[in-house]
Amino acid sequence: MAAPVYRTGLSPRFRALAFRLLLLLAGCLQGGPVAAGWWGGGDQALPRVQVAEPYTEWRTGPASGYPVVRVSERGEWLQLVMRKTGWLKVRDEQGREGWVAMADIGRTLDARGQPVELGAIEFDDFSLRQWETGLMAGAFEGAAVISVYGGYWMTENLALELSGSQVLGEVSEILMVNGSIVHQPFPRWRLSPFFTLGIGQVFTFPKATLAEPENRDNTAAHAGFGLRLYVSDRYFVRAEVKDYKVFTNRKTNEEATEWKVGLSVFF
Amino acid sequence: MESWTKRIFLNLSRAGLALALLIAMATPVAAQEAAPSLIEPDVEPQTISETLISSGDFEAGAFVGLMTIEDFESSLVWSGRLAYHLSESFFLEANVGVAEGGETSFEKLAGDVELLPGNDRKYLYYDFNLGFNILPGEAFVGSDYAFNSNFYLLAGAGATDFAGDLRFTGNYGVGYQMLLTDRLSLHLRVRQHLHRIDVTGTDKTVVNTEMGTGVSVFF
Repeated sequence: MAAPVYRTGLSPRFRALAFRLLLLLAGCLQGGPVAAGWWGGGDQALPRVQVAEPYTEWRTGPASGYPVVRVSERGEWLQLVMRKTGWLKVRDEQGREGWVAMADIGRTLDARGQPVELGAIEFDDFSLRQWETGLMAGAFEGAAVISVYGGYWMTENLALELSGSQVLGEVSEILMVNGSIVHQPFPRWRLSPFFTLGIGQVFTFPKATLAEPENRDNTAAHAGFGLRLYVSDRYFVRAEVKDYKVFTNRKTNEEATEWKVGLSVFF
Repeated sequence: MESWTKRIFLNLSRAGLALALLIAMATPVAAQEAAPSLIEPDVEPQTISETLISSGDFEAGAFVGLMTIEDFESSLVWSGRLAYHLSESFFLEANVGVAEGGETSFEKLAGDVELLPGNDRKYLYYDFNLGFNILPGEAFVGSDYAFNSNFYLLAGAGATDFAGDLRFTGNYGVGYQMLLTDRLSLHLRVRQHLHRIDVTGTDKTVVNTEMGTGVSVFF
């Protein structure tokens, strides 16, 4: 007699997905410092700082809107448990926990009595950024465009960028991948202009309702101009206009103008 | 007899002492300097940098809810969300969701007609939003528990793949988040998705409402 086969109720596809999710979770739990305090526990070898100012304020949450619930006096030792944006969760010697602004931790001393080199992200960090990434939206020849990009600064003035865009037009959908070189003449300006030059690939998918839908794949070159405006913390606003020349195998090349505005983060 | 044994032991201990002295003299100077420290630190003091502190700027979440798809009934909607917190107030988020369009009233009344083939009823969307934590606060459960919370606003753009076409879609909404721990939170969210569609005869803007709840983890 054959052994009975039980249904688990989960399809193999779902089980594979669940397994992958579990793996991801396990990865998060193991991941070095990430593991500490995942469920509020795990405090081995947390970095410690000593309050050097007359006092340091604790809040109940990682934002300036949360109320101040405690102060640490000069000389008290605090463990740094975790960070959320510009706030650090601290634990004192009695095991009490609260949130202290990163800028305040920047005025404490470490175990060797040296000032702690932590602080709020400021404009100087923006000028010295190495990586940036952002999301932008705008119009490409009148059609809506959504774009994601990433860039690496080789020098203060020169960066390499890679972007992917989706254009959602009335008659076609266009996917674009572009590589460009970006030059900013004034890296220390809060409102900093830049110039960009690059090439890419344009994939056009006409809508199925058209008479002769034919997918096209063309190379395009572009030149553009834009502005970055540093706002605060790790982010800035970016706006740009690009002029594309799409090389077709027809008699004439096509031209397209695109403008976009978006928000970017730097590291 | 006693004095003999005493002498032997004395000699032995003297020899031992001499040997110990010899070994001590032979050991390198560095080792001798390290010895006198009475309290040894558990860990070497090191410069404190951000990499030593675990962070929670990213947030990944799974949502389930109800989506009303204009003209096509309402449907269960599943979505995934990845957020990056720029500051205490602002965050960027990416969402991907899937739902299923039902039957239009025309199809129900007319009986044996199909406005859309089955696979075109699958409703798939993605969007990128900017979020703003407008009201950070605390929620109190009973007399013993307080949880941090956020009331946030969302707005952004993306695309919807429905009825055989991919359409530019704007969306805005509000959400309420309760942090069970620093790494785990619950969400309640309502969003409006706006896009143009001409499937039902006229070209119009539809507003599809998504209402859902979700769980997210910070990492």
